[in-house]
Amino acid sequence: MKWRLTLAACGSLFASGAALAHHSFAMFDQDNPVLLEGVVQEFKFTNPHTFIVLSVKDEKGSVQTWNLEGTSPSNLVRGGWSSKTLKTGDEIKLKIWPLRSGAPGGGWNVDQINFRDGKPIGGGSREY
Amino acid sequence: MLTRSPFILFVLAGLLGAAVASAQMYDAKRHPDWSGQWQRIGGVQWDPSKPLGRGNQPPLTPEYQAVFEAGLADQAAGGHGNDTNYLCLPGGMPRAMTVVYPMEIIITPATTYIAIETASMFRRIYTDGRKWPDFVEPTYLGYSIGKWEDADANGRFQTLTVETRYMKGPRTFDQSGIPLHKDNQTIVKERIYLDKSNPEMLIDEITTIDNALTRPWTVTKKFRREKNPIWFEHVCAEGNHHVLIGKENYYVSDDGFLMPARKGQPPPDLKYFKQPAK
Repeated sequence: MKWRLTLAACGSLFASGAALAHHSFAMFDQDNPVLLEGVVQEFKFTNPHTFIVLSVKDEKGSVQTWNLEGTSPSNLVRGGWSSKTLKTGDEIKLKIWPLRSGAPGGGWNVDQINFRDGKPIGGGSREY
Repeated sequence: MLTRSPFILFVLAGLLGAAVASAQMYDAKRHPDWSGQWQRIGGVQWDPSKPLGRGNQPPLTPEYQAVFEAGLADQAAGGHGNDTNYLCLPGGMPRAMTVVYPMEIIITPATTYIAIETASMFRRIYTDGRKWPDFVEPTYLGYSIGKWEDADANGRFQTLTVETRYMKGPRTFDQSGIPLHKDNQTIVKERIYLDKSNPEMLIDEITTIDNALTRPWTVTKKFRREKNPIWFEHVCAEGNHHVLIGKENYYVSDDGFLMPARKGQPPPDLKYFKQPAK
């Protein structure tokens, strides 16, 4: 199965990064989001931010590990998520804001993540 | 005459003092019901009625406007600018009252506490009638003295007025890095009360007096009472993936490797490590 790594010029689909964090998310490039599809290596339900380690296969078949910071568990638990919401091996797709350096890391938003088959993940986050 | 008797004056002064002290004591029938969990309404920018960043229109002096602009430019390049919360430093006052994650207010006879889930910040507001101490060791949250007010004169307190001093830095108003003056002479004045038409909404009018500002800056924060609260913890050091080495901030991968945050960012200087022979 081939996983896609696609540049997506669709910043307007993202909610404000300000809602994600207790610190600035400006370090992530919110003007140039990236669409990722991949397999969850690990979902860390940790403070100050949850973290998804994602295996992403590009068009040539090589696999890259992405390090993706999300909102806090505080926000997620109030939106119906738990530490068991994502499991190793889950296939997901999400839009992320990449690191400005181009390294395979970035920030993810609870409003922009689904299972690969389109099913929603978690109970949906509240507006904060 | 009454006023010519030192003894009677002494007794009257004592009674008056007792009455004032009594008025400040906790009384469930007199104090407002601020129980439960309070969640922020609006965003995390300092003035929630305006956009984050320049749009927040902070009344900064030219010197501190330049500090703010430099911070924004750094953030646009992949840094964190003036915002130090990414290193797990607490926001301190007044930023704490943005209440990124919810708060609980505990009213006791001599002190009102505000427990904020964000960075586990815990405010202590003395309402025992004390004066300002001659010296207080500065802290991020500062030293707060409050006073209950019964403006409606109906026998119930409506408003807690609070003044906070003796903060330490670095602090910013919000994550965009609106700076406070590095002299840390900030004074924060608050008026906290329930919305008269909606007791499920708490209002905090916050005025900041700071030498980075051209005038006192007043914003209004609102909070809604959550009837079915979920409490969690926010232990920032647990899994923070941001580090500052020298003057450069880096991102740390899950397997513990430094990742560049900016384009073309150099790695840290390893001069104190033995370099492998080439």
